[in-house]
Amino acid sequence: MRWARQLALFVLFTVLFARTRYGIAPNLTDVFFRFDPLVFAVVSIATRTLVAAGLLSLVVVVATFLVGRFFCGHVCPLGTTIDLADAAFRRKSPRATNWRWGKFLILIFLLVSAALGASFVGFFDPLAILSRTFALVAFPVVTWFGGLVAGVRPAVFAETLLALATLVLILGLGLAAPRFWCRNLCPLGGLLGFISKFSLFKFSFRGDCKACGLCEKACPTGAVASEHRNVDAAECIGCLACLRACPDRTIRFGVRPAPQPVDVGRREAIVALGSALVAAPLARSIVHRKLQGRLLRPPGSVPEPDFLNACIHCGRCMKACPTNGLQPAILESGFDGLWTPRLVPRIGACEKNCNLCGQVCPTAAIRNLPLEEKTYARIGTAVIDRSRCLAWEQDRACLVCDEACPDNAIDSRNQTILGTTLGRPFVNEQACVGCGLCESRCPVEGPAAIQVFSMAADRRKTGWYKTPEKARLRSCGDQPQEDVPSGFIQGEN
Amino acid sequence: MNRRDFIKASLGIAAASMLPKALFGAEPEKVTGPVIAVARGTKSKLAKGALDLLGGMGKFVKPGDRVCIKPNISFAANSECGATTSADIARQVVQLCLDAGAARVVVFDHTIQEAALCVEQSGINAAVVDKEKVSLLTLTKERQFADTPIPGGKELKSAKVAKVVLESDKFINLPTAKSHSATGVSLGMKGLMGLIWDRGALHQMNLHQAIADLASVVKPDLTIVDATRALTSGGPGGPGKTVTLGMVIAGVDPVAVDSYAVGITQWYNKSFSGRSVKYIVAASELGLGEIDTAKMQIKEVKV
Repeated sequence: MRWARQLALFVLFTVLFARTRYGIAPNLTDVFFRFDPLVFAVVSIATRTLVAAGLLSLVVVVATFLVGRFFCGHVCPLGTTIDLADAAFRRKSPRATNWRWGKFLILIFLLVSAALGASFVGFFDPLAILSRTFALVAFPVVTWFGGLVAGVRPAVFAETLLALATLVLILGLGLAAPRFWCRNLCPLGGLLGFISKFSLFKFSFRGDCKACGLCEKACPTGAVASEHRNVDAAECIGCLACLRACPDRTIRFGVRPAPQPVDVGRREAIVALGSALVAAPLARSIVHRKLQGRLLRPPGSVPEPDFLNACIHCGRCMKACPTNGLQPAILESGFDGLWTPRLVPRIGACEKNCNLCGQVCPTAAIRNLPLEEKTYARIGTAVIDRSRCLAWEQDRACLVCDEACPDNAIDSRNQTILGTTLGRPFVNEQACVGCGLCESRCPVEGPAAIQVFSMAADRRKTGWYKTPEKARLRSCGDQPQEDVPSGFIQGEN
Repeated sequence: MNRRDFIKASLGIAAASMLPKALFGAEPEKVTGPVIAVARGTKSKLAKGALDLLGGMGKFVKPGDRVCIKPNISFAANSECGATTSADIARQVVQLCLDAGAARVVVFDHTIQEAALCVEQSGINAAVVDKEKVSLLTLTKERQFADTPIPGGKELKSAKVAKVVLESDKFINLPTAKSHSATGVSLGMKGLMGLIWDRGALHQMNLHQAIADLASVVKPDLTIVDATRALTSGGPGGPGKTVTLGMVIAGVDPVAVDSYAVGITQWYNKSFSGRSVKYIVAASELGLGEIDTAKMQIKEVKV
């Protein structure tokens, strides 16, 4: 029964993930993230903004106050993945020593660094980890096979190996103990486990328990200490394996409002606090970002510090991007910017009629803009490298950038160089929004002769991007008169 | 009748038969060049109107033919903006092919902007997908193209050409009339660049000659220009000035169709003819067709 529920929710998570693609409205595909109180808490604290979509997670918090850490055993799709891997690979072996304080350590680390203004939740949140693995590992693999049989274009990503390694590590730890990640490392488990200490319903043992230890053996999270006739509410994921294992039915699940003692060691708390005190300032040092003029964030991305705090590296925007242009950053925006999305126009540009990345972002790191507003949300400015440009340097009738530009931001102007008069491209900086279509289509081999830099990117937390002046530059009737193209023979008609 | 009488009589008849010419002056020189069909009027009847002037679609598409049609849907934009072929006209051409008995119609393009978006925004997907025997194809992969030598090419010696064209029985080119910042205008032969994989390479050569070279090996059975409106500046992607013309132009000779279409409106607020467009001149010099509108048989109809 629990298995069926777990699998059904895992399938739902997968289906919702798969539905983030161009052509269908991705409504509610982020529903799992909305129920994630860890993401809600850390992002809200770090950005000093209430993430409205995350308010649903309070349902999980209230439910945990009632019945404990059921989320982990019944809902969490990473938990289900771990259960599947454990079932497939685990041999009977001694269970690992107890590191259960680890998850509290990570939780404290995340909350303290959030309070200091730096979010690292994307590296540790189980939903973000699984979603990212789906996006950066499973999606390219599935589309590659799709390309073999059905002509699907395979997705490619700049970084997949670390994303894969994270999941392999988490599953591999299961060899040491079942659900190793959930019991020792998962900060969402830590948060829900902490709340469970105060839950209304808990397990208890009847007086005639013989302390035979079968329940303890059956428990996948090491929550049962049979000789003490105790179930640690912070560890119990509500799988009910102990109830089934008990031959005398002495274990009961009932109203036990008395809170259990919280046992986070002082030493562990100090380690967590100290790590946060070091990591948060390092993550927010921005010198390297000043050197990164080519770090293009998706249109509608909030200002960079808020963006890094709100982005949980779930990979959904990169999966959804129909041109494959959204790529995971590696170290371009610092170590904490690993797997955050950046537009790489040479791989794929930002399509004018698409606003999917903002629609699928679960934390509004990329604002969910109406389509028209999105087309005005400037992500950078195109710059022409005349020394590489076919029209400027080689007198070719090229102007592919002009052809590709959907906003008329490239003007062809007849320029005479060494006696050759030819239309040569100029960027109209007022009209350019940095979508990168020019860069993606430039026929020069290697780096394009026109490249988008992040200069003049319009990053805002609230407010709109479209202005009457910008709209005028695009209107059909009011275009500046262009020079007559060199494809015409002048004077011949 | 003896021989002398026979000769007299014959001479008399011959003389009499020559009389009208002598009396009424020289008959105007008969135009024997390519036929250009021009239909004006109700948009929903334009394609059929133009095709009827050419003898009907049945003259080109035989029952059982696999037909491929290439509209210009390179841009993810509403076709009213003039950068893409009107979906309405494309639908009419597809229907004419089906009515002529085509076994299979493939509507395809090698788009400049993202294919999935182009087929939606141009309206082409909605216009053709509901029909049986009709499929929509976007060329996005190199393996959809096959190496093709261009023996007469001056600039372009070979190109990877769309297999769908090479493997179809009939190929109909369905461009829209629009301006182009590099080639001046983009009409039928310019649109053939959408048939090849590495079109970027053409910009590294003499583009105008390369377009003509390409046209020497890829010859549409029919070229139909959607001139319901023309994007007369800001092309090929727009936005720019659009002029409503309400015309569809059709013909077999690709040079003649393009040359005629140059003259239907002003481009960049100036008047031009086929002789003033470098790629059309280059195609004419390769002997691919007639550039002189005076030598074309222009047939017009109001529908």
